[in-house]
This record gives sequence, structure tokens and C-alpha cells, in this order.
Amino acid sequence: MINLVRNEMLKLLRKKRLYVIVLIIAFLVPLFTYAQFKEIQDQREKLGNQDWRTVLQQEITDTQNRLSSSRIQDEWRKYLKIRLSQQQYYLENDIDPRAPGAPTFMRIFVENSIDLLLPLLVMVIVADLVSSEASGGTIKLLLTRPVKRWRILLSKYLAMLLSVSFIVLSVAVLSYGISGVVFGYGGWNMPLLTGFSVSGDELITDNVHIVPQWQYILMEFGLVWYVCVIVGTLTFMLSVLLRSTAAVMGIMLASLIAGAILANMVSSWESAKYFFMVNLNLTNYVSGMATPIEGMSLGFSMSVLAVWGIAGFIIAFVTFSKRDIY
Amino acid sequence: MKKYTLTAVSIVSIAASLLWLFGLGWTLQDQFTANEKVEKPREKTESASTEKQDDKLTIVALGDSLTRGTGDADGKGYTGYLTDRLKEKTEQEINLLNSAVKGETSRGLLKQLQQREIQRQAKQADVIVMTIGGNDLFQQGAALESLDMNTINSKRQLYLSNVKKIYTQLRDLNKDAAIYHVGLYNPFSNLPDAKTTSSIVRDWNFQSAETAAEYEDIVYVPTFDLFQLQVESYLYTDQFHPNTEGYKLIAERVASLINFEQEEDES
Repeated sequence: MINLVRNEMLKLLRKKRLYVIVLIIAFLVPLFTYAQFKEIQDQREKLGNQDWRTVLQQEITDTQNRLSSSRIQDEWRKYLKIRLSQQQYYLENDIDPRAPGAPTFMRIFVENSIDLLLPLLVMVIVADLVSSEASGGTIKLLLTRPVKRWRILLSKYLAMLLSVSFIVLSVAVLSYGISGVVFGYGGWNMPLLTGFSVSGDELITDNVHIVPQWQYILMEFGLVWYVCVIVGTLTFMLSVLLRSTAAVMGIMLASLIAGAILANMVSSWESAKYFFMVNLNLTNYVSGMATPIEGMSLGFSMSVLAVWGIAGFIIAFVTFSKRDIY
Repeated sequence: MKKYTLTAVSIVSIAASLLWLFGLGWTLQDQFTANEKVEKPREKTESASTEKQDDKLTIVALGDSLTRGTGDADGKGYTGYLTDRLKEKTEQEINLLNSAVKGETSRGLLKQLQQREIQRQAKQADVIVMTIGGNDLFQQGAALESLDMNTINSKRQLYLSNVKKIYTQLRDLNKDAAIYHVGLYNPFSNLPDAKTTSSIVRDWNFQSAETAAEYEDIVYVPTFDLFQLQVESYLYTDQFHPNTEGYKLIAERVASLINFEQEEDES
């Protein structure tokens, strides 16, 4: 089995896809770092004040002012209200949620890329794992070996898991390394609040507690990894079902982007919460953001994702073992 | 060479998988089990500059949409123009903290003053400017709801008792800062009921000024006269908030009241 996985990893590396992914991340991170840097600078200039409390207070006041406007969408109002009470809570506990530093950048970066960017990167790797063998015809060579089919597929699946971990790791390492040049490498022990839950437009703070930033980041990366594995599994299934890599990519791309769009407009269509793509934003539960649909929670989203993942896994293996290859 | 890369990538990936799995497990443990409440880490950060910074002149602005600057084309409001004027007068760096919220009533402001951060700002202030009461009297800037004297009287009683508490609270927080409470003008002075509305606003202003006079260094700044004659040329299109010109008038008036020598002597 180990040799099979080794073999698959070798194929993956030969394709140089992993390097491309790493390059993409290495290119994007400086971009975001610069954007973040600009934002901080801009704020300082505007307020002429470096104290984060003042900055946060100004933000709170701005939000309050926006809330008092009558031409505001209900959705948006709810979001603002929750963010407002959260900021208020941070302020009251004297914690700066955005003290600049490489770890903070890392955190903000993964929080923003969990629902689209990272799944896309994963998809690029996984999409042709099986389908390229089918379209290239090499699948026949692979299946003529005296190895059970499910073992071959499992070795591919494990290789997929490994490369997902590798991608997530490179995001962590690159975002820390590159942004640290600008923001400094400190801030791992900064306290952060987690455990917010949302009900209606109220923020519930019963279970709020402080965790150091390094733990917070580790937790978020765990969630990111989970999401990437699920998206990887689904792409893997499509890759088994379809012979064309382009079709696999197309379908995944469409559903991921649809998820991003849906999350912004499904609040009244409740059963949409069973789609996997509106549940990708797991880090929002840790940081305490408004959910796209009433009644979603970390447990719910993870279960939905798990169900989709397991179903995809089973479909992939059953089809692969039963299918005729010609 | 290739072989080494393969082994290296594989080992790193396996290690990473374990790490992320651990992170995931930790998340589940952390999010789904009850945790003890936040013990507030206040001691170490409390020291964060509640002290006045002597090199800067800190203006804290509180209140409603007037202080926020609703209706001003540049969004500066009178606080912005006031800062501009003061910058011409002095070399000192001026730091403006505007915490005004549109639609704020005296009750809202009183509540806002309970917030730690607002209190901290008030403590730091050299000058406090505020507008409050407009939303108590005029219903959200629409109009006077009724001209019935009884309702207005009861509104005013409520407002006055709130304002008293606001003044007291501000004085408790900051003994030295001069407080400028910018008064009301009558935005309806070109409408049919002008006589009645003007007298109501005048009365309101008078009572407020009386209340302010009970405290040290609280100045009730009249604006009624500024808008009295040409109200329409100083009003924004909503016929309630001042426009840029109107804000500049208010700013000039407040600016002329802020005396630098004194401020510097005190600090």
C-alpha cells in the first residue's frame, strides 16, 4: 500500500501541479499583505491616532451610524449588528482583534480564503487524479496489475489527502513568512475571543472564552483542512465519474462559486443550508460571524459536509470498482 | 534528487496532516464543551493611556447627526470645520475623536457614556463638543409631532433630567475639559407655524442653558440666531440638517469660544 501511495505521490510531483499551487500562493500573499498594510496606514492617517481602541471605537460609531440609516437591507443590518456587538465585546475586554502581526495576517487570510480560494487550489490538484488516467488511457495499465481496484483508488485518495495537507501547510508557512517581513513575526500569544454564537440578530456570549492566538490559528487551520478534504473528496468523486478533467473542473468551479453567491442571498430559502457549498465558511463559527441561514451552527455545517464527503467517497469507490474499462 | 523531494514532500505532508487533524480535534473540543467565563485580562492593559497627551489637543465630539455631519457635502460637519479653524490658530496637533451617532437622543447618549471606551476618550479630552436634544424634540428630524404644549413639556422634562446626568457624568470623568454644548436652531422657521415652533425651540434652549449654567465650564452655545433669518440657505435638502455653509457657521462660533492660552495653562 505504501508503495502504491508513493507511486501516486510521484505522479503528482511529476505533474508539477503542487509547485504551481505554491507559486500561486507565494504570489497572492504579498498582494494581500500590501492591501492590509495600506489599510492600516490609511486608518492611521485618517485618525492621526495609533491607539487601536480609538480606531475600533470609530468603527463602532460608523457602524452605528450606518445602522441608523433606514435604507439598509435586513440581511446587512443583521450582519452589522452582530459585528457591532462583537466589536463592543472585544473593546470591553480590552482585546485588540487586529493587532498587526504575521499571525494576525495568517488568521485573516485563511478566514477569507476558506470558502473559495483554498477549495479552488485543492480542486486544481485533485481534478485530474483519476480522470487523466481515463482520458490518457493509462488506467488500463494501472488496472492490469494484480492489485485490487479499491486499493488503487485508495492509494490515490491518500495521495490526495497528503497533497491537501501540503497545500494547507504551504498557505500557513508562506503567509506567515511573507507577511512577517512587513508586520513582524510576533503576536502568537495575543488573546482572542471565541465561542460566540448567533441567534437571530443577537450575539450570545455565554460561552465566550479567551484563547491565545496560536491555538486559535491552529483551530482555524484544522477547519480549513477539513473543508479542503471534503472539497477534495467531492472533486475526487467527480474525477472518477467523468473522463474529462475539464468537466470535473467546470462542475466544481461552478458549484463553489454558486456557493459563494448563494451564501449572500439564501437567507429566506432555508433548505439551501443542506448544500455543501454554503457550509464551507467554518471559520466564521469560531470567530462569531452571522450565519447565512438561520439555524446553522458549527456542528450542523460539519455534519452536512461530512455527509457529502462520505457519500462522495462511497460513490467514488463503488463506481470505480464496478465500472467496465475499455 | 527526485527521490529525496518525494520523500521530503511525503513526510512533510504526513506531518502536516497530523497537525491539522490535531487542530480540528482541538476545535471540536473547544467549541463543543462548555468553557469557563472570560477572566478579564484587564490589569495589564488598563494602564493604556488614560492619561492626557500633552502635546496634542484632543477634541471629543459626542451627540447626534449634527455632530456626525449629516448634510455636509464633505461629510466633515461642524467638528471638521472646527478642527480646520483651530489648526489655523495653533501649532498644536489636533486630534478629533467623533463618536456621534445619527439619531441619538439624550437617553442614547447617556447609555453610550456607560461604555468604557467612550469614557476613556472623555477622560483624555481637552475639549468636548456635543449636540444633543434635537432628536428628543423633533421626531427623527421629520417635524414637530404635535404642537401640544403638554407633550412637549414632558419631553423637555425627560430631556433635561438626562442632560443633567450627562453633564454630571462628563464632569466626573473629566474635571478640566471645557464642554461646549451646541444648542438647537429652528429648522422650521420659514414654515407657517414658525412662531410657535420658534418659541418652543427658544424655550428649550433657555432651559438647557440654565441647566448648563449649574456646572463649571459647560458652555451652551446658541445657534438659534445663526439660522434665524436665512434658514433656507443654510439648510441641506432634507430641510432639517444644516448644509456646508450652515456647519461652517456653527464651527466658527464654537471656534471663537475655544481659548488656547487657557487650555495650555491648565495642562
